[in-house]
Amino acid sequence: MTNAFSRPALVAVVGFLGFLVAVSFNTTQRFADALPERANDLVDVVHDLEEQRTELQDRLAELRAEMDTLEKDAADDSGVRESYSRELETAREAAGMLGVTGPGVEVVLGDGSEVAAGTDPNDYVIHDTDIAAVVNALFAGGAEAVDINGERVVATTPVRCAGTTILVNSTRLGSPYTIRAIGDPTALEDAVREDPVASLLFTTYRSQFGLQAEVRAGQDMTVEAYRGSFRPQYVSSDQGGDR
Amino acid sequence: MLVLLLALALGVTLGLLTNFSVPAAALTYLGVSVLAAIDACLGGVKAALEHTFDDKVFVSGFLTNTLMAAFIVFVGDRIGVRELYLAAVVAFGLRVFDNLGTVRRLLFSRWGWE
Repeated sequence: MTNAFSRPALVAVVGFLGFLVAVSFNTTQRFADALPERANDLVDVVHDLEEQRTELQDRLAELRAEMDTLEKDAADDSGVRESYSRELETAREAAGMLGVTGPGVEVVLGDGSEVAAGTDPNDYVIHDTDIAAVVNALFAGGAEAVDINGERVVATTPVRCAGTTILVNSTRLGSPYTIRAIGDPTALEDAVREDPVASLLFTTYRSQFGLQAEVRAGQDMTVEAYRGSFRPQYVSSDQGGDR
Repeated sequence: MLVLLLALALGVTLGLLTNFSVPAAALTYLGVSVLAAIDACLGGVKAALEHTFDDKVFVSGFLTNTLMAAFIVFVGDRIGVRELYLAAVVAFGLRVFDNLGTVRRLLFSRWGWE
């Protein structure tokens, strides 16, 4: 029975057929992998907008500096204005409008390097919830100022997932994430290590998924100023509205 | 029969391992040549079962059919009737099913299932 079919020409053409089928498979696979053009357009739009945002942030910083000098000039006039100016400064510091330094901790979180076969790749990356847990733990431990990769955490700061990056304020951040906090270094470190959610990063997750997770206390932490804008639309002061 | 299946598996493995692929413009040519190869293989199996297999007829048939199919696709592209390749697809498709029927019947008689 085998004899009838073992014609070299027939065998060769059948082999060639198999090869052609594999080539078709490779080709379709390649097209399926290619990004649709629409997605590329959107990427361009995002990049343009991010560029615009950076320009606007710079402009905002300039205007704020200008406002500062004007206020100082005005405050030179009298003692009443001076105390008003000091109050303003304190409020600004509390709101995160000023870059600050002091003792504190630095938490570094990074994605795991290798995904073991048959496991969920999602387990090997740092998620928005991980960052949020650490930030919450730091504030709970008495942090006075916190930033994430230089993005200051203020009252209106969201920490959320945006594709493969994490969005803090309006900036997309990528791994590794450096979270700096100013406050009592020991209290802050304890707060992070003992928080039920955040602590997992330094124990189970780190050993199991190879995540990078470190806490380091230091005496000279620097936390950046908030660079975004405040444009309240709905809130108004309950003290007579002199804003 | 086993040797043919082995050859098929070998071809697929080779294609996947080399990860060879064609540009988008050649996709129609590739499709038509796959059909031509399927047609040739079934025709060859049929001839082998009927003991009329002839290397010269088989190889020349496969080559001329493939070339003609490619030529039709090419002409279709040039004159703006891209659907012209359907002529080759229909012709090969009909032959494939025709040959498949014959091969099936020949195999039945060979295995004594009639």
